[in-house]
Amino acid sequence: MKDIIWLIRKTLISKFRNKRSWFLYFGLPIAGALLSMLLYGNASGTDLRVGIVNEDGNQAITADTIQFVGELKQVRVNATDKTSLNQAIEDGKLDIGIIIDKGFADSVRSGNPGKMTIVSIKGAQVTAAVKSMLQSYIGNITAIGKETSGDQEAFDRIYEGYRQPSFKLTADTVKDTSSTKSVTYQTFGYLITFMMFSAVNMSGLILREKENRTFLRIFSSPISARTYVLANVAVNVIIMLLQIVVTLFFMRNVFHIDSGVSYIEFVPVLLLFGLSSVGLSLMIVAFAQSGAIAGAMQNLIITPTCLLAGCFFPMDIMPDTVRRISNFLPQHWLLDTVNKLQQGNKLGSLYLNLAIMAAFAAAFSLIAIYRFGRNNDTRMFV
Amino acid sequence: MNVLEIRNLTKKFGDFIAVDNINLSVAEGEIFGFLGANGAGKSTTINMIASLLRATRGEIELLGRNIAKHNKFAKMNIGIVPQDLAIYEDMTAYENVSFFAGLYGLRGSLLHERTEEALQFVGLGDKHRSFPRNFSGGMKRRLNIACAIAHRPKLIIMDEPTVGIDPQSRNYILNSVRKLNDMGCTIIYTSHYMEEVEEICTRIAIVDHGKIIADGTKEQLKSTITDTKDIWIGVKSAESLKVDSLRNVQGVTAVRMDEQILKINSKTEVNNLNDIIQKLIRDRVEIRSVEEQEPSLETVFLTLTGRNLRD
Ligand SMILES: Nc1ncnc2c1ncn2[C@@H]1O[C@H](COP(=O)(O)OP(=O)(O)OP(=O)(O)O)[C@@H](O)[C@H]1O
Ligand SMILES: [Mg+2]
Repeated sequence: MKDIIWLIRKTLISKFRNKRSWFLYFGLPIAGALLSMLLYGNASGTDLRVGIVNEDGNQAITADTIQFVGELKQVRVNATDKTSLNQAIEDGKLDIGIIIDKGFADSVRSGNPGKMTIVSIKGAQVTAAVKSMLQSYIGNITAIGKETSGDQEAFDRIYEGYRQPSFKLTADTVKDTSSTKSVTYQTFGYLITFMMFSAVNMSGLILREKENRTFLRIFSSPISARTYVLANVAVNVIIMLLQIVVTLFFMRNVFHIDSGVSYIEFVPVLLLFGLSSVGLSLMIVAFAQSGAIAGAMQNLIITPTCLLAGCFFPMDIMPDTVRRISNFLPQHWLLDTVNKLQQGNKLGSLYLNLAIMAAFAAAFSLIAIYRFGRNNDTRMFV
Repeated sequence: MNVLEIRNLTKKFGDFIAVDNINLSVAEGEIFGFLGANGAGKSTTINMIASLLRATRGEIELLGRNIAKHNKFAKMNIGIVPQDLAIYEDMTAYENVSFFAGLYGLRGSLLHERTEEALQFVGLGDKHRSFPRNFSGGMKRRLNIACAIAHRPKLIIMDEPTVGIDPQSRNYILNSVRKLNDMGCTIIYTSHYMEEVEEICTRIAIVDHGKIIADGTKEQLKSTITDTKDIWIGVKSAESLKVDSLRNVQGVTAVRMDEQILKINSKTEVNNLNDIIQKLIRDRVEIRSVEEQEPSLETVFLTLTGRNLRD
């Protein structure tokens, strides 16, 4: 243990003395976050497209409700019919559909609202925002209905008063978080790409030490090969963790990107991915004979797989075959986990994703260990 | 007790035998020279002693203990100065020495003390904070040595510590070797420079094609050669000299130029000095001195291995 710490200490000191390391480890992911904001972070947010189907005729309450939705900021309302509504939502031409069935106004008036459905395929949050505002609006009217308990005249009188401007509800902005979610997703896409590059950079130290002979010099001391590799992995994990924390900090506290999920939840997920990056980097180092070869392998492996897994472009634009291929890439599972978290899934329910990422880490490491073991005749071991 | 004892040591790389059944012992307090041409197997042997290579056959004992069984003990007691510089260019001289010494478990004030001491010892006491990338070749070599001695090993192995450096640094290093020896260290020293080995080594082994073909003090080695003598002829300039014509002179076995001296090996029993001088005169070479000598270590090496130490 004492020896491992000694090796870790030396590596950290010489790594962080080098300005290039700072750039690679922290500069690039932060730049990635900035770039994502430029690409997807349309700061004002996009308008929500809401389609409304009205089957309740010309009732005042119904008309007012539709008007209420229309007056919400950043909402565009189209009136439509049921079939085209569903089609439009499926095609992504509408974000939210509100279907008002026959009898809606009556149900509100009687103090027992119903007959209204809200459909959407966008994140739960957007729907929830519209829903909650609608609910509070309808709730108020329902309260009048309850109060007057069937007395038509009394209801109309109070309702009329409620519609006066002095009582009017302030129209709220429905914040569409899907764009900031894209920013988060994309930032993570870049972050994990850079994490993979930094991992190879760090493991590549083994090859560089071989090339500058300090490797053999270390093994003429009582340090064992296992201690040496463990120390290297430990530094790698430390750097991954720092990268994650720094990037998340910048996203949250400097760029104020609303990820839609508590940032703390991303840390273990990203770290798990970090472990598979470390495993992959060890594998590359085990197979490469020199730093130059490792560099070539890293470019050949990391960049294309990141592209396929959707680190650089949203997955939606990729053809089906690519999506299927991406199932075999750890990056895909990380991004998928992030997506699911943003859709409101709890981390605990995503154990399949987490298990797959852990499996990637384990598989890569085992292959690396096997390969290291085979080189051991010369006791040069790596 | 012998510090190092090697028995029937063999190393094969595939079918190639790099070290061929070597037997060797080095006593405490010796400066043991390891002489051999390129590829003779010196570094391979040293790497096996340092546990960097596994022997194909045979065993190595350090201070009476088998190094495979007592690996940590062996490593703690060996300091290795690798043939190829093994230092970090991006760490200061102090950090380099301190890091390597720390690998042997030294920490805290003791580590600091030993690091200082080692840097002083190689004459880099004022270069603590400098980075080796700004060092001359000689300074790097010295730092390489400091990294090997800070943990105070009993046996120090130097694999060509003076290769490619200025004479001043070389003298410094040779003096350090003597000083280390005076302090009680046993030293194994390999070099391509015959004069160095002749100057500092108390005993010498000559390796060729993986075998030790002779070993002993320089006097012993020289006395094994009775049929060859050295003829050294000082000349002004040898540009007009036809070396081949000299080789054809009866009894001459080798001819080479070293600075201003024409070094000729010849059979002892043939008296050919007249013929040699005649040829030189015919080639208009200006002769300044002529000496007949006991065979030098270089001649011993050449006679035994059939090749020059340096090509
Ligand atoms: N890992 C290896 N695999 C195959 N052959 C090797 C290996 N290491 C050394 N050799 C061969 O073994 C022979 C001995 O090499 P070694 O480095 O011990 O020579 P040396 O006496 O130190 O030479 P030099 O004076 O050039 O340093 C050489 O022919 C070399 O090519
Ligand atoms: Mg050598």
